[in-house]
Amino acid sequence: MLQSRLAFIGGGNMAEAILGGLLACGYPLSQCVVTEPLQARCEFLHSKYPGLQVLSGPQANILAVNGSESSSHTASLVDAGSVHINPTAASDMFPPAEVVILAVKPQVLRGVVSDLGETLHQRQPLVISIAAGIETSAIARFMAEGASSSLSTSSAIASTGPETKAPVTVQAQDLPPVIRVMPNTPALVNEGATGLYATPDTTPSQRKVAESLLGAVSKQVSWVNQESLIDTVTGISGSGPAYFFLMMEAMEDAAVKLGMDRETAKELTIQTCLGAAKMAQSSDDDLKTLRVKVTSPQGTTDAAIKTFEKGGFRELVAESVKAADSRSKSLAVELCGPSIGKDSKL
Amino acid sequence: MPSTMTQQEQHQGRLAFIGGGNMAEAILGGLLACGYPLSQCVVSEPIQARCEFLQSKYPGLQTLSGPHANRLAVQGSKSSSSTQSMIQEGTIQVNATAASTDFAPAEVVILAVKPQVLRSVVIDLAPALRSLQPLVISIAAGIETSAIGRFMADGVDEEALTAGSVKLPPVIRVMPNTPALVLEGAAGMYATADTTAEQRAVAESLMAAVSKQVSWVETESLIDTVTGISGSGPAYFFLMMEAMEEAGVKLGMDRATAKALTIQTCLGAAKMAQLSSDDLETLRIKVTSPQGTTDAAIKAFEAGGFRDLVQKGVAAADARSRTLAKELGGAKL
Repeated sequence: MLQSRLAFIGGGNMAEAILGGLLACGYPLSQCVVTEPLQARCEFLHSKYPGLQVLSGPQANILAVNGSESSSHTASLVDAGSVHINPTAASDMFPPAEVVILAVKPQVLRGVVSDLGETLHQRQPLVISIAAGIETSAIARFMAEGASSSLSTSSAIASTGPETKAPVTVQAQDLPPVIRVMPNTPALVNEGATGLYATPDTTPSQRKVAESLLGAVSKQVSWVNQESLIDTVTGISGSGPAYFFLMMEAMEDAAVKLGMDRETAKELTIQTCLGAAKMAQSSDDDLKTLRVKVTSPQGTTDAAIKTFEKGGFRELVAESVKAADSRSKSLAVELCGPSIGKDSKL
Repeated sequence: MPSTMTQQEQHQGRLAFIGGGNMAEAILGGLLACGYPLSQCVVSEPIQARCEFLQSKYPGLQTLSGPHANRLAVQGSKSSSSTQSMIQEGTIQVNATAASTDFAPAEVVILAVKPQVLRSVVIDLAPALRSLQPLVISIAAGIETSAIGRFMADGVDEEALTAGSVKLPPVIRVMPNTPALVLEGAAGMYATADTTAEQRAVAESLMAAVSKQVSWVETESLIDTVTGISGSGPAYFFLMMEAMEEAGVKLGMDRATAKALTIQTCLGAAKMAQLSSDDLETLRIKVTSPQGTTDAAIKAFEAGGFRDLVQKGVAAADARSRTLAKELGGAKL
């Protein structure tokens, strides 16, 4: 079983969901370290996962990745105010991270990764990013930025924006490999659907690690072989739960309009959604066949389906999925600048 | 909600399934899986091949076919010899490997035949039903309880009925749905005023064997709405998922991945909705960051009149259900 030392950079909902799912599967608590800037959130994590090492403060991320080889080393960082630790954690010593899970908000990821650049360059963990809209090439660029500016003896070069490439002395092949993941909210109830993309420099063993980590909270884990398909994953499973919430809400409202009480309408609708999904998962039939099998000609289902088809239901769904896919692509440009070609030298 | 009674408390009475099709089999299978005694179940089914299938899937199950099968299933066998003579006359065929060819009268009769034949089936059974007074549970779409009552009163003059000298068995009407076949049904139920609380509990626990959600409606007309929501609803989600899968493929994803991610997304959304105390609007808003990808998709749905279209579809199924009821039920009393 997977036992690698994990560093969660960011302790928000998705990070907690994955951590919680892993611990529930027997993952050793002592192998997990979480960094989280919000004190209240740290305290919440301490109380929910007694003994978990949670770090905050300016050097927290670096410590989480580097590890601490002695209590005195940790203590000196605490004394210097560089880090706050969980005083009730099982241990104040921990080895370097083998896997780093970037779970911060997309908007702050650049700064976080840049600060960690040199540490990541030295330790070479597997880097897994769950941040929406941040391409693996951008993550590599941010790591290189950080690593180079650490190595550089001259003062920091001002960066005027994402298009400006900081002069880089760290080579792409010297940076840790990155796996990009698009999970979804049902991971919070261990029913996630997740798409993953691994850069060509990842090994099969590293891909297996990422798969089993996300497998702790996902019932479906799918690899895509081009990074652009992560935008499509976003359009399908990333944003998809909201489409079904909307569908269910519309059905519930329709029933209420026809005289049903809201509670009954809600409960029947939700279970119908669940039942349909379960049937689809346990059947060899494709979705069209499943539908045709339950649609007697001239029956009630036929009447509804004909109405949907006439009203352009399919086209509307296609448009909406596409809208999410497009927005995902444009967000990536907003956050990281235009894509860098895969053979550009960093 | 599924019954929380212990196995001892659960209803164990003799069941007669009139019709052995998919839904009947799903309910039977679900009950047996929950420990319901096989010996308490009798299935009447005209198609021999179907009987054989049921016998092999549920070894020892009593299946009956032939002209008198329904009546025997309801009335029970008076004696081995009377059953034997019916077999010799050819009026019934039994499962020779059944645990027993002796069985008691049915306490619960589940009408699971196609709506189009229900009228003649019930008229044929009417004298037996009137004399035995079992609980009658109908899963036939589009047949109102008043119509079933009328069929059960066949041959009885109106004066006797209104005077109360002839009683009709109570009827509970159920609208289940296909996911019952994977024990994930959603069922709506309506009970006529003459049913007792105990009878309603029996019907509920039978449907709970295959349904994760069992809901009572106060007026029979709401069964048409149940049809529009959960009866026909699985197909709406199949269509939604098919459209999403297709959209994924069009954007360059391979079909198997698009399908698998779509279906799990549907399942995950439903699970979240079931486990959360938030309403569906709140759940959606919580996952929709302003200006994000989800926001872009939802805006497209709204701009395209999605809600309206769903409402129209549900209303169409509801309306068709009412029309069918008129067509199948004949003149009201």
